[in-house]
Amino acid sequence: MSNNTYNLDAHCQAILEEYREHLPEFEKVVTTVKASLEKVFAEAGLVVASIEGRVKTEGSLAGKLELKGAKYATLADITDIVGLRVITFYIDDVDKVASAVDRLFDVDWENSVDKRKAHEIDSFGYMSLHYICRKKGFPYRFEVQMRTVLQHAWANMNHDTGYKSGVEIPREYLRNLSRLAGMLELVDEQFSSIRTELTDYRRRVQALVASGNLNDVLLDADTFRSYLQLRPFDKLNRRIAAVNQAEIQEVNLMPYLEAFKLMRCQTLGDIDRLIKEYSEPAYQIATYQIGLTDLDIISSSLAPQDICIAGILIKGAGKLGLKMLFDILNGESDSNEMMAEFLLEQTRDLPFMNQ
Amino acid sequence: MEVKIIEKDNVLTAQLTGRLDTAVSQEVSAALQPLVDQADKTLVLDCKELSYISSSGLRIFLTIRKAAAAKGGKVIIRDINNEIRQVFMMTGFLNLFEIQES
Repeated sequence: MSNNTYNLDAHCQAILEEYREHLPEFEKVVTTVKASLEKVFAEAGLVVASIEGRVKTEGSLAGKLELKGAKYATLADITDIVGLRVITFYIDDVDKVASAVDRLFDVDWENSVDKRKAHEIDSFGYMSLHYICRKKGFPYRFEVQMRTVLQHAWANMNHDTGYKSGVEIPREYLRNLSRLAGMLELVDEQFSSIRTELTDYRRRVQALVASGNLNDVLLDADTFRSYLQLRPFDKLNRRIAAVNQAEIQEVNLMPYLEAFKLMRCQTLGDIDRLIKEYSEPAYQIATYQIGLTDLDIISSSLAPQDICIAGILIKGAGKLGLKMLFDILNGESDSNEMMAEFLLEQTRDLPFMNQ
Repeated sequence: MEVKIIEKDNVLTAQLTGRLDTAVSQEVSAALQPLVDQADKTLVLDCKELSYISSSGLRIFLTIRKAAAAKGGKVIIRDINNEIRQVFMMTGFLNLFEIQES
């Protein structure tokens, strides 16, 4: 597009010309800044909703110059030629992102804005953190906006409502938008608060598991996952594997959560007791089954499986109990009944069944 | 031991016939390579005519399962006989696979 299309004086035309000259460099900076942010977030284990980047379009820059070109001595005075936006899920993460941006780039504090702090106590509205940054080897400043998904949604809705359109918006709509902003601010805080509570809960559970206070830890998916990190079935698996010098194939043991619930385990302590009590009978089952075969590969789920089988048989739950176990582990099927019968037959004469 | 692979409607079915023991495992592994290569699809191991499986056979099945997990595919074992089902149970692999009866 030629300069003639825009209503610019010679000074502004020179700025526009400089922009055109450096456009490939601007595009490159968007890519490198985005990559740097992605890398540092990944290293910090910070999951963000998105990282967007763009170079201001020529039309947008020309519009800005038409309106207030005299304000800028050179292109370097315009700080949003390159702009990036990091959208986080949680409000706490906005500060983490800001800290990462601060570490990666040289922040121009005088021109950076924290709109989160700009509100009066009785007003709600656009909340976002804007840092104006410099990057080594790049003579222009660039902007990084940081906000939550909800702040982003509100900003877009507010924008679409047309505050920039020049049409005066009725007070009622503005008030509704303000109410919505207030509500979203509360929701953002609630999400963060729930995440913090959940993290605290997980930490407490992990501490209890690590300290061995397993009776105080109720059995659920989270606690069972923490418990599995202690590798409670390794000893029995290794003992079984030694029978045939078998390789142990690691598999996900989470499906056993429901199996242990079937065994009436309510705490991790209950599972621990089950392991202590039934490891020997479970070993007898496994040895009987694979001892005379040349099977030299087992799954890491063999120990919990055989512990459950031993528990069911010892408690006298018989075929029905075994079928229920297989229904939980393998999905309901007629063949589970056949497997239960097979196991009953196989284990009938094992020492633990006759004690 | 025979392996026949049929592709239909984005499903790769391997029909296994005979005994899958150590002696034939390399040959079977090579014959089943198309399933590993196309593990983003639904892979069916049709075991209706499979009479026996050894540890080597289990390892082949596990390799296919691992490839499917990595590529977003799915493995179905169809019509295993009771002896093979017992091998899966005795080694702790039964709940690892989706086992179907036709």
